Amino acid sequence: MRTRIPWVTLVIVLVSLLATPAAHGQNKFRLKPGPVGKLCFDCHPDLAEKLKGKFVHTPVRTGNCAGCHSPHTSAHGKLLSASPSALCLTCHPSVVPEKAVSSHRVVVEGSCVKCHDPHASNNKANLLKTGNDLCVSCHKAIGDTVARVTFKHVPVSNDCLSCHNPHASDKSAHLLKSPVPALCVQCHKPDSPRFTRQHVDYPVARANCVSCHDPHGSNTAGILFDTVHPPVASKRCNQCHSAATAAEPFATRRPGFELCRGCHSAMMNEAFGKNRIHWPLVDKTGCLSCHQAHASREKKLLNVPEAGLCGRCHTDTIDWQVKLAEKAAQEKATAKTRGEKGALTHEPVQTGRCSACHLPHASDSARLMRQASIVEGCGSCHDWLKHNSHPMGEKFADMRNKNLSVNCLSCHQAHGTGYRHMITFPTTTELCVQCHKQLRR
Amino acid sequence: MPSILGSLLILSCLGWLCAEAGAAEAGKLRFVAAIYLDDKGVGLRQPEGVACNDKSTVIVGDTGRGRLLRYTVDDRNVKPAGEIRAPQLSAPIRVQMNSKEEVFALDGRQRRIVRFDVKGESKGYLDPEGVPAPAGIVPRSFRIDRDDNIYLLDVFSARVLVLGPDGKYLRHVGFPTGYGFFSDLAVDSRGKIYLLDSLKATVHAAQKDAKEFSLVAKNLRAHLSFPTSIVVDSRGILYLVDEHGGGIVLLGQDGSVLGRQLAMGWTEGLLNSPSQMCLNDRGQVFIADRGNNRVQVFSLVR
Repeated sequence: MRTRIPWVTLVIVLVSLLATPAAHGQNKFRLKPGPVGKLCFDCHPDLAEKLKGKFVHTPVRTGNCAGCHSPHTSAHGKLLSASPSALCLTCHPSVVPEKAVSSHRVVVEGSCVKCHDPHASNNKANLLKTGNDLCVSCHKAIGDTVARVTFKHVPVSNDCLSCHNPHASDKSAHLLKSPVPALCVQCHKPDSPRFTRQHVDYPVARANCVSCHDPHGSNTAGILFDTVHPPVASKRCNQCHSAATAAEPFATRRPGFELCRGCHSAMMNEAFGKNRIHWPLVDKTGCLSCHQAHASREKKLLNVPEAGLCGRCHTDTIDWQVKLAEKAAQEKATAKTRGEKGALTHEPVQTGRCSACHLPHASDSARLMRQASIVEGCGSCHDWLKHNSHPMGEKFADMRNKNLSVNCLSCHQAHGTGYRHMITFPTTTELCVQCHKQLRR
Repeated sequence: MPSILGSLLILSCLGWLCAEAGAAEAGKLRFVAAIYLDDKGVGLRQPEGVACNDKSTVIVGDTGRGRLLRYTVDDRNVKPAGEIRAPQLSAPIRVQMNSKEEVFALDGRQRRIVRFDVKGESKGYLDPEGVPAPAGIVPRSFRIDRDDNIYLLDVFSARVLVLGPDGKYLRHVGFPTGYGFFSDLAVDSRGKIYLLDSLKATVHAAQKDAKEFSLVAKNLRAHLSFPTSIVVDSRGILYLVDEHGGGIVLLGQDGSVLGRQLAMGWTEGLLNSPSQMCLNDRGQVFIADRGNNRVQVFSLVR
């Protein structure tokens, strides 16, 4: 017997099939009837309270909790339907421009909730706080500086977003809306008589304003960085540069260290009289490898704090310190009791006080050490006579090498070795039997 | 998944085999002898420079004692052959020898090159003649090629100056852009110049008549810590002296890593802050082992 399917049934099936994706898109989890979000509020009543905020995130307002959350299971925290770094970008893809020059770290990491409340807030754009309060909750040091300084940069006090983009910038580093000096000359008119007079007629509208001025304010008039090179402070720019009217007014009068030697001859002559020089001092960049020419936040006009300065070139040393710090933290976390005694690395190295042992310009000693004698160098901080009774000094030859005498570095490495007490072998026994072979077992 | 893991295993095995084959082709350094003393029994102190030639004459820059020492090396026998001193030389940090066995030493204090004749008599400073502006020259290192031309690594004016044997300017090649700090250079038998960037752990090269350098090996940081010296052998294999890491890294002409040899330590065959290396056509390799107050002699076993 031949069964005939009524054509009406076929139409119903087809229509229902076609209708399914649309329905699925709106209610893919087939939630119970009624406003979709209302169901969630039955168990999450605090969210209903949140909805009273002035600004409610659109998916929340429309009750589309499943727009961000998966109701059953998820590989991500808070039952999010995707990783935090990807989730927000699905609806807000243009937050970071395609060719961004700089991006806010929290945005890149997908930590949008560090600034925004994903549900609702009384602040515009669902921000957690308003104005600069939000920014300084992370950028505390800048917040402290802005609050403390005598000479304030008004736009900074008003709103960080006067100069910075919150998410990313496709024009400049540091999230700046425009590069310097284009950003600065939007407010500071370089052709005004006052501006010209203050910059002693140099065409600074083409210069790097932040080589002298601290954009976040300072304790020095004109918001110059707190440490100012005396020729800058006294507006004697032509001491180092060509005249303001010259074809190349910013050209320096002499190249490299030769320019600085004019004033800093005593320091230079002392350095140049040593057997070993720190080579960046005499290369093309010269003193500016480490120092600022005009002004700096740091003492001695250093480019950055000493901790970061040396590490910009000596990355191998810094990388090693990072590894040792990680190892120390790991060992501390897994230690059952108080943890092992003895440092994995040297405190001055770990804290970036390289100049505790090394001279930055020149030295008669290898590795630019402050002291010719290792024992005396270490002894300036460590009382090694209390350390142990092992013979040390020029009179005692290293048994591994007849041309070496026993000193602190015979057993320890100043930058750390990965072993406790910075010894050069995993255990004290292994170390000692390197020389005392008769004790080997 | 197992097939992917299997493929990865096979690929890594092949990679290891290739590296081993490369290292074998490049040769291995086998310890032969160590130089500790001068002819009067006085020990070396922090020697940073070493130069050699095919006649097995070796010049050691005994930096800590402000002198040069001459030795002859015959197989395992190292014989002191006199001391060279000059008032201009207080800290010889780089040493070279030309085909006439004249000695050139870069003084760390004056940052100038002092010349000595074959007898060890001082012939004064090497003063480059006819060098175009900028006038300032600060040599960080230098090399002498088979034709006795002198290559100065001028860090002050960011260029390599090529001088004739008499010190007259021949040409120069500017440093490439975006470099960190060039500590040393090497010149092969065909006049190709290699530059070693210690900070970026890279090697640049310029053919004999090239006007600029190009990158040969980039980001070698995974293989070394802080290289400060470079030499090239007759086959074009590059040897990078890793001062902070206490080892030698070998590169092929294309910049590929062929292997790493030697290690940090105090006993013979190990290195502690090596600073300059020299090799000759007899397969002898000399390394100024500064931190160990000695110069070590190795043979290159292929």
